[in-house]
Amino acid sequence: MTDAALDLNHLRSWIGKTEEVSDIITPRLTAALRATLEALVMQAVLDDHYERYPQARPDLGDLAVAAAELDGHPLAGQPRRLRQAAAEITANHPDASPDDVLLWAEARTLPAA
Amino acid sequence: MTHLVILDYEAVQALQGPDHHKHRRVVSQAQVVASRKRRAVAIQMVVPTAVRVEAGWDRSSPAWGFPNRLRIADSPLDTASTNSAAAIRGRTGVSVADSHIGAVIHSASHHQITVVTSDPGDMRLVADDKNITVAAI
Repeated sequence: MTDAALDLNHLRSWIGKTEEVSDIITPRLTAALRATLEALVMQAVLDDHYERYPQARPDLGDLAVAAAELDGHPLAGQPRRLRQAAAEITANHPDASPDDVLLWAEARTLPAA
Repeated sequence: MTHLVILDYEAVQALQGPDHHKHRRVVSQAQVVASRKRRAVAIQMVVPTAVRVEAGWDRSSPAWGFPNRLRIADSPLDTASTNSAAAIRGRTGVSVADSHIGAVIHSASHHQITVVTSDPGDMRLVADDKNITVAAI
């Protein structure tokens, strides 16, 4: 009981006090925050769509091809090679990204040292 | 580095219809855009409004719920872009929708512009000397 009373007294000491905090917001920061929110919304919409239409869910090979096409990557015209790279990388790295696949596929095109 | 992704008529049609044979391809493009946004890459998907007209994309219609919710911005056919599109149409003879895509390409200040399209030839025609990436579907 004594402890509770002490806590209450401590809390009462906060009454009427204020704290001001300021920060700087820039167009770049607002754009980044907007992009973050948009990404979350887009992903939620896509996840919902995949749940309704499982056949629409792209696999890593599809995403690697899409990433290459969007970027105009030199391997964009070689979807079979990208899908093969995706299959290889997924075996050891299940969480690989499409960009990881592109990197791996690119490395595979280089001559062995 | 800023990246603009423009959808053409068939890309829009494919995105809207789960049964469209190119649906998964265009959804893959949208998924890559979403993943890059999450990594703070400045990338944006847009649809020229003349493309929306041609594709029948009515934002008030429930049938277009999926594309509506994907944060794909309208690129409106305002006075300046109408002039630009009219000149492109006069020069190339492509459709009104493709002329509007050309106007969007020419007015964009992004470092990279990608057009998701089933007609790479017409897109290169409307882009003229402007450097674009064509993602053929």
